[in-house]
Amino acid sequence: MISLKPLPTNLNSSFFRSLTPFKLFTPKTQTLKSSKSHSHSAIKSVLQWNRKPELAGETPRVVVITSGKGGVGKTTTTANVGLSLARLGFSVVAIDADVGLRNLDLLLGLENRVNYTLVEVMNGDCRLDQALVRDKRWSNFELLCISKPRSKLPLGFGGKALVWLVEALKTRPEGCPDFIIIDCPAGIDAGFITAITPANEAVLVSTPDITSLRDADRVTGLLECDGIRDIKMVVNRVRTDMIKGEDMMSVLDVQEMLGLALLGVIPEDSEVIRSTNRGYPLVLNKPPTLAGLAFEQAAWRLVEQDTMKAVMVEEEPKKRGFFSLFGG
Amino acid sequence: MASLWILQFHPLSIQPSIWVSKRRVSPNFLQLRREFDLPHGQLKWNRSTANPFFQLRAISSLGSSEDGGVPQHGVVKIPLESKHPIAKLQGMISIFPPVVFLTRRGAGSNFLIWLCVATAFLLIVVRVYVVRKSTYNRPGSVADLVRRGQLRSDRRGISRPLKYDDPFNNPLVKVGKSNSTVEMCGKVYKLAPVTLTEEQQAIHQKRRSRAYQWKRPTIFLKEGDSIPPDVDPDTVRWIPANHPFATTASDIDEDLAQNNVYQKHGVPFRIQAEHEALQRKLEALQQFFCPVNLIVRLQEQKLNKLVIDTGNAKDFERLLKFNPKPNELIEQSPFNNQAGDPMPSKSDSAANSFKSNSSSEEIQKP
Repeated sequence: MISLKPLPTNLNSSFFRSLTPFKLFTPKTQTLKSSKSHSHSAIKSVLQWNRKPELAGETPRVVVITSGKGGVGKTTTTANVGLSLARLGFSVVAIDADVGLRNLDLLLGLENRVNYTLVEVMNGDCRLDQALVRDKRWSNFELLCISKPRSKLPLGFGGKALVWLVEALKTRPEGCPDFIIIDCPAGIDAGFITAITPANEAVLVSTPDITSLRDADRVTGLLECDGIRDIKMVVNRVRTDMIKGEDMMSVLDVQEMLGLALLGVIPEDSEVIRSTNRGYPLVLNKPPTLAGLAFEQAAWRLVEQDTMKAVMVEEEPKKRGFFSLFGG
Repeated sequence: MASLWILQFHPLSIQPSIWVSKRRVSPNFLQLRREFDLPHGQLKWNRSTANPFFQLRAISSLGSSEDGGVPQHGVVKIPLESKHPIAKLQGMISIFPPVVFLTRRGAGSNFLIWLCVATAFLLIVVRVYVVRKSTYNRPGSVADLVRRGQLRSDRRGISRPLKYDDPFNNPLVKVGKSNSTVEMCGKVYKLAPVTLTEEQQAIHQKRRSRAYQWKRPTIFLKEGDSIPPDVDPDTVRWIPANHPFATTASDIDEDLAQNNVYQKHGVPFRIQAEHEALQRKLEALQQFFCPVNLIVRLQEQKLNKLVIDTGNAKDFERLLKFNPKPNELIEQSPFNNQAGDPMPSKSDSAANSFKSNSSSEEIQKP
């Protein structure tokens, strides 16, 4: 979960003063790699938790969150990363591209407020701004569902519809959103093709098991065939105790198999299920849980187009003394 | 001259050595002293720490109990043969110095202490054995993946961890100062650097490009449809006949849908279209089937007929009174003839009678 990045050239000093809940201190720099021959590109690593992330890339950043295998945590990642981005001050539009099985609204607790979907917009029943559901907790976060469970979207038409949607969001009066996050359905069928059509980058969610990794590898190949090259990986449901006991592949093993840069490592957390039941994403919990912290860090890296440089591996706890042998 | 009685206890075997004074010691005393020969030397009697005053006191107290206060010099006579048990007990208590009493009680507690220590040691041994046994490789571990060739076996053990300062401003996270350990929620972690290089990434990309050949489908056809001649067969996506979305292939006008998505103000297209259609329908209904309008039209017609009759009646009066010109009567009568009502028939008859009257009047004029 620790991540390093090169020192930015312009640090917004005024933002330091605005970060009242954070402990203000000057960032300490440590040179972890030997500096290169030319001095102006020397790599310095900065601890990054005391400033707002700087948005990299062109807006809107259209990111599709996919996996291939179902149940690995795509929708959970979409909801938590999206809300984390909104909390960081960026405008976010989350799109649930699962035509038949809609779940993102449930995770966000907005299921009672979804009246119109993209299908109604295309049919002329409502405008696009009427179909967007604005979250009352964070006003810069909006949700759009593609269709209701009983409505139908013609095959081959969904990709065009999403392209029109992105274009319409770019030119809307409220301004172009910073992030458009698309929750991709499972599989590699028409729904997957629809969801990846307007995307510029992808986040691949996988769990550290062999079946999920095989599907993730195939999905990565399809994304690259479709022209999406910026693909990062989130390893979800990590059990550090099982990794220590060598019953589960480590995150580095996963990376070795897929060959993708790491965006985040999310530990297994029972709070995920409770947050789903409440309709309250766990990044909003106070105090934050480990999984919530991990999602926030993943969102941070997504903003700056950064990747993880190190992972945490559980080791034996420190020996406290003679009495620890008695089972302490 | 007082003598010094010292008892020495060795760890393994106790050899009570009694420094005997110059006076002869009774054999009974020696026999009693041998009772202190304990199998295990739980007590260490440090000679240097012996309290001579205590011993002297003991001696003096021994002397006082038996001899009625006359101190004995190094001679301890133990009344072994005592008939009263109480007296015997008292005698024993009084004879032996308090330190002897303490050593006897310490022997019992020594045993307990040593028993606890032995038990603890046994528990530790059992625990270590259990822990070591649990680390034994079970089936279904990562070793099986290595065996199957899914993972490299030489990649066990990460290089030395990096050192960081505290990266989190979170009280749950505690980073060790000496090494790069992180303590979170009761667990200790260490940092392992990521080892994926750009060359390895490129290798994976090449592997995937060889393994997965895929083209984005541009046309969706149902099973049984023929492929158009100018379409690449690799871009055709076949829809199963029982697919729920197979029947709605071309129900939506694309241009219209695009315009609807881009619309930012005003009423949505379908809502407006439905509203306009409803309005037109209502107007049409109003024009043809409204009963109010029908009654109004009927009343208008009736009113029109009533106005002509009154005019004729006045004309008739004028003719009767002032001999009106027959041309005027003729001009008024065609209006009545066009109406075709029974009322005009009466006026016609009246006009005819008037004409006959007028003609008779003209005849009468000379």
